[in-house]
Amino acid sequence: MGLNSYFSIAYLAIFLPVVIVAYALIPRRFRWVVLLAASYVFFWLISGKLIVFILISTLTIYGVGIKLDKLLAQRDELIAADKSRRKELKAQYARTMRIWVAVGVGINIALLAMLKYLTFFSTVGASLLSLFGVQVDPIVSTIGAPIGISFYSLMAASYVFDVYRGTAKADRNIARLALFLSFFPQIMEGPICRYTQTAESLWAGRDIEKDNLYRGAVRIMWGLAKKLIVADRLNLLVKPVFADYASYDGGIIALAAIAYTLQLYCDFSGAMDVALGTARIFGVELPENFNHPFFSRTASEFWKRWHITLGTWLRDYIFYPISLSKPLKNLTKAARKTIGNRYGPLVAGAITLFCVWFANGLWHGAGSQYIFFGLYYFVIILLGGFIEPLAQTLSEKLHYSRESRWYKGLQIFRTLIVIFVGELFFRAEGLDAGLAMFGQMVAGFTFESFTNGAVLAIGMSVGDFVAIAGAVVILLVVGIIEERGTVISAWLCEKNLAVRWVVLLVLIFSMLIIGSYGFGAAPLEPIYAQF
Amino acid sequence: MDEVIEILEELKPGVDYETNEELVSKRVLDSLTILALVAELEDAFDITIPAVEIIEPNFNSAQAIWNLVNRLMEEDD
Repeated sequence: MGLNSYFSIAYLAIFLPVVIVAYALIPRRFRWVVLLAASYVFFWLISGKLIVFILISTLTIYGVGIKLDKLLAQRDELIAADKSRRKELKAQYARTMRIWVAVGVGINIALLAMLKYLTFFSTVGASLLSLFGVQVDPIVSTIGAPIGISFYSLMAASYVFDVYRGTAKADRNIARLALFLSFFPQIMEGPICRYTQTAESLWAGRDIEKDNLYRGAVRIMWGLAKKLIVADRLNLLVKPVFADYASYDGGIIALAAIAYTLQLYCDFSGAMDVALGTARIFGVELPENFNHPFFSRTASEFWKRWHITLGTWLRDYIFYPISLSKPLKNLTKAARKTIGNRYGPLVAGAITLFCVWFANGLWHGAGSQYIFFGLYYFVIILLGGFIEPLAQTLSEKLHYSRESRWYKGLQIFRTLIVIFVGELFFRAEGLDAGLAMFGQMVAGFTFESFTNGAVLAIGMSVGDFVAIAGAVVILLVVGIIEERGTVISAWLCEKNLAVRWVVLLVLIFSMLIIGSYGFGAAPLEPIYAQF
Repeated sequence: MDEVIEILEELKPGVDYETNEELVSKRVLDSLTILALVAELEDAFDITIPAVEIIEPNFNSAQAIWNLVNRLMEEDD
């Protein structure tokens, strides 16, 4: 595995240590140069000439940001001179600024669409036209997509929106903006940061502190353990079952859906551990992308704990702006008057939720299974909105507490099933395969493969299952401790040196001993780097 | 402040809005309820609440909502 994985030797044993040493040796005021140069070298080594696209994004948002800043200053000057025209001037300038926002965001989204979705949409378009007897060849993009375009395009768009809204000040330093957009630990798989969250601390060139170095290293090792011990090992089961699902019964397909969910979590959250750990070493705090998602009581809560920065991006830049547009606000009011407070907001909410979940599905990839995945959650969350008042009434009538342990447990169990089914469609090789697998899982469910030993013929041995079971128990215990409010890495920092080293060494040795690598291993390509 | 509490009680009864300071962080108010609340507040106080103001600190308690309303009323004057 080359540099295109944060778990690779090339990244962890060569690239990262070189950057850390260069960063530590150089005077503070030039440290940003090290980070920016490292980020662009990293990008170049993976995407080569496609680096031009992140440069276009940077230049676009830099120019649009300054233009918006000038318009804001002009507007405020005019308002200060004549306060009676405040409302009129605000509306007038808002119209001009919106055009610039459309330019800035439009260029970035157009690049994303061209590089990532052109082939998909032109194929869909050609198929639709063929229904009307018009035969056209779909356009096939041969350029390829630069690494992380789905992540940095959203960051670029959020910067433009934030300057327009006044929540971020336009940056006149293009190098700082370039670093914000391209910072190497986050470029491949996120998190999707906001300008106000990271730009300043990236630029500050903070010293590498002992505590940050330790916490960063533990976090990186923790991520690496998730990947090597769990995600890679599960590939021995997930890959063959999804590739040849027709040869397996419903029980095995259900097991593969659960295994894939765990694999995706360990791969993606493990990559986030490496990203956040790396950033911490440089004194930069990236936003968390996961918060123990498998403890969620509802599908909607799950998305507040899973890929958090994508969820908040969609909420802030799609959900609320659409919901608060005049036509939808009027619809909400009218619906509330007609069908009441409980269901009224759901009418307008359904329109916005559809936009959000369609965007969520599409963001993950140009494929019908991803759009289905998004719309699956749209239906589940909308249904949740309708059922919620009923569940509340039922609990009042039957006198049971919705906060009791058994009720919470049932809710978590139900949500886990929703998640496993969603991930089955997400991983399936196309929507048709997903539907076939789902049908097979439900109609052909049997425990036979578990009792006759067929499950062990797929690729994972008894030892592999034991290692996974052990890892799940550890993840569960860590999850429970952190759910109760203890941040383990911070807690470790307060312990004496011996304890701290023992923990780090246990992590390293557990990876060396039970990590899935070497002969017979099927290492997993980073899943989210493909989106 | 009382008017804000009245609106909240109408939208989602059975919550102690006088003392609860985690309305959003503890998911008492979900995003759809917040949308209905925004529409009500805009009508009641003749204000416009922009998307940028829909953040947790502005909706976590009745007092925070009241502060937001007051600030937006002052800005509109």
